[in-house]
Amino acid sequence: MPDSTFLDATELVLNMGPQHPSTHGVLRVILKLDGEKVIGTECVIGYLHRGVEKIGENRTYQMFAPYVDRMDYVAAVSNGLGYCLAVEKLLSVEAPPRAQAVRVILTELNRIASHQVWLGTHALDIGALTPVFYTFREREEILNIFEKYCGARLTTHAFRIGGLQYEIYEGFEEDVKKFCDTALPKFDDYEELLTENRIWGSRLKGVGILTAEDCKAYGVTGPLLRAAGVKWDIRKAMPYSGYEKYDFEIPTRQNGDTYDRYMVRMQEMRQSVRIIRQAVEGIPSGPIMAKVPKVIKPPVGEVYVSIEAPKGELGYFIVSDGSTQPYRVRVRPPSFVNLQSLDKMARGALVADVVAIIGTIDIVLGEVDR
Amino acid sequence: MRKFLRAVFLVDLLRGLWVTFRHQHPRNIQTEQYPAQRPKVAERYRGAPRLNINPENGETLCISCNLCALACPENLIVVGWVRDEQTKRKVLTTFTYDVSRCMFCGLCEDACPVDALELTQDFELAMYSREGAIWDRQMLEEGPRPTRYRY
Amino acid sequence: MADEQKPQPKPPAGTTAHAAPKPPAVMATTVWESDLTRQLQARFGNQILEFSSYLGQEFLVAKPEAVAPILEFLKLEADFDYLVDVTAVHYPQRPEQFDLVYVIYSFSRNQRIRVKARIADGYKPRTAIGVHPTANWLEREVFDMFGIEFEGHPDMRRILLPEEWQGHPLRKELSITQQDSLWVKENLGIDSAQ
Repeated sequence: MPDSTFLDATELVLNMGPQHPSTHGVLRVILKLDGEKVIGTECVIGYLHRGVEKIGENRTYQMFAPYVDRMDYVAAVSNGLGYCLAVEKLLSVEAPPRAQAVRVILTELNRIASHQVWLGTHALDIGALTPVFYTFREREEILNIFEKYCGARLTTHAFRIGGLQYEIYEGFEEDVKKFCDTALPKFDDYEELLTENRIWGSRLKGVGILTAEDCKAYGVTGPLLRAAGVKWDIRKAMPYSGYEKYDFEIPTRQNGDTYDRYMVRMQEMRQSVRIIRQAVEGIPSGPIMAKVPKVIKPPVGEVYVSIEAPKGELGYFIVSDGSTQPYRVRVRPPSFVNLQSLDKMARGALVADVVAIIGTIDIVLGEVDR
Repeated sequence: MRKFLRAVFLVDLLRGLWVTFRHQHPRNIQTEQYPAQRPKVAERYRGAPRLNINPENGETLCISCNLCALACPENLIVVGWVRDEQTKRKVLTTFTYDVSRCMFCGLCEDACPVDALELTQDFELAMYSREGAIWDRQMLEEGPRPTRYRY
Repeated sequence: MADEQKPQPKPPAGTTAHAAPKPPAVMATTVWESDLTRQLQARFGNQILEFSSYLGQEFLVAKPEAVAPILEFLKLEADFDYLVDVTAVHYPQRPEQFDLVYVIYSFSRNQRIRVKARIADGYKPRTAIGVHPTANWLEREVFDMFGIEFEGHPDMRRILLPEEWQGHPLRKELSITQQDSLWVKENLGIDSAQ
């Protein structure tokens, strides 16, 4: 990279506007460039702000659950799980074991689906047009399972406070097992296409490095933290919904660059299949809904519960004043906090690397803006 | 040496290309030719609403309990009823449902105690004007009307 | 109805006479005691108003000026190196209207605690950016939604709403239908149906 010469006297301000094929939604990034090198970025967000937290103060607890799906619309089941866990903690009830097992299966399927969307769109941004078709085709299988179970593919509203609404349908276990058997060869296909590919490696290796100290300082969680070497996953650190019963590993890598995050997410998909296999072997029998009153009025108090969403740590801070409507619902969105580190990662990179970095943070604007 | 040969002869790129060629086999074609081929929709799919009618005597199953209106997060169901003098029961007169604001969450379907309100498998709800989105009782009872294309 | 001679306003006819108006329900907290609380007590003394725990989640309430030093102490001495969330809650009836909440987590201890402070309208708390760079956007969002400005923040602007927006939406006096009603009245001339 040549140093600045007399030819480039000014810095160029370039607007990667809200309508852009590579910004995964309505994200506006204002780049200050010196030639092709980025010397500063500024993110402007809020184009998808719908006021979900204000809506939460005007709906009852059960009524608010469909709104929660629409924040991170790619991983709607995880959002619903976090919300139901938070309200159940306020009420001090726990879902029965059968409901917990089915919740784990659906949440892990959702994690695979979310990572498949990520892989497809990230590869598309880098320029590889093939993986997006394959990942979306496999994702159809998962969405079919969701549709057969709860009636919707994307905004599922699958869980209710206290457990599940619907009993699992006939053939749920066979469908899930068939998916697990066919999924692993497909993941091998993705790896065959991308992992050793020299173009992929040279686009991703060494780009967007975020060390472990930076991650902890910027509050970055999820696959970004694990790619930097910190072996931390809320499913192991503070288990919820029966995760302590399942045996799985936390994939970590050393360098903290974009290629490592890709490898971490591929490994996470395989670990998710492992969890699903264990969970679907023995779904315990029993009730699917705990004893929860029809009108939910939790005692006065506040609680903060967080889960490991596919994007990072998704937290719900709910303040209750004893009435049927929450007093304050705060959602701690992983994409919002992770997006802060874009500035740190993009300094000194090229413009094409900015596209790769935005893709690797794995943001969903519905969650960033709520 | 092996690495050099692999790099020169583009082995990694060719392996990826072979994966792509493998998918050219006709059995791997996944595209559905919509609208000639309609997708198979699950039984529990939350689509357009419908008010069910008792098949034996042709009367509506709805008992005007208003639970669906209370359960809706968007308050878009309006149930009208009169009280019948002889039997002292409520009789349904009008039932208005605003499909433009509905998010198809299924809470009204869960709340109905007699399975009168049901969300069907109809997902083709495009309409030409916003007024057509407020459905009254007659439209709801007819049920889904998917357009049939003639080729 | 007023059999007991009490210096209270007479209850309306038809209700039984209460001994006193019922106090507002409060959180049923238990006291939190541990090495960490003793350390904090020794260091900050009376600047921390209470140590409590509710449903197994510990939190402490401190005086507003002490929050930034407490966060710094917790990061350097007690290894709470990850700021999870910064948020606020609005209680309009209280004299100190806002409840500023910091949620922090320690990787080594695997423990998550909340640091709360009750601040009045117009008070400008010190920013936590010096201790945790995460607080940059989180504090901007608290300013955007509640109007609490943070002193020392390098870039105190609205983040989610457009720059020229008036008001702070998550305050309780703004109702949820206010935007819709205003726009409909101005542009269509009728009352909104919401």
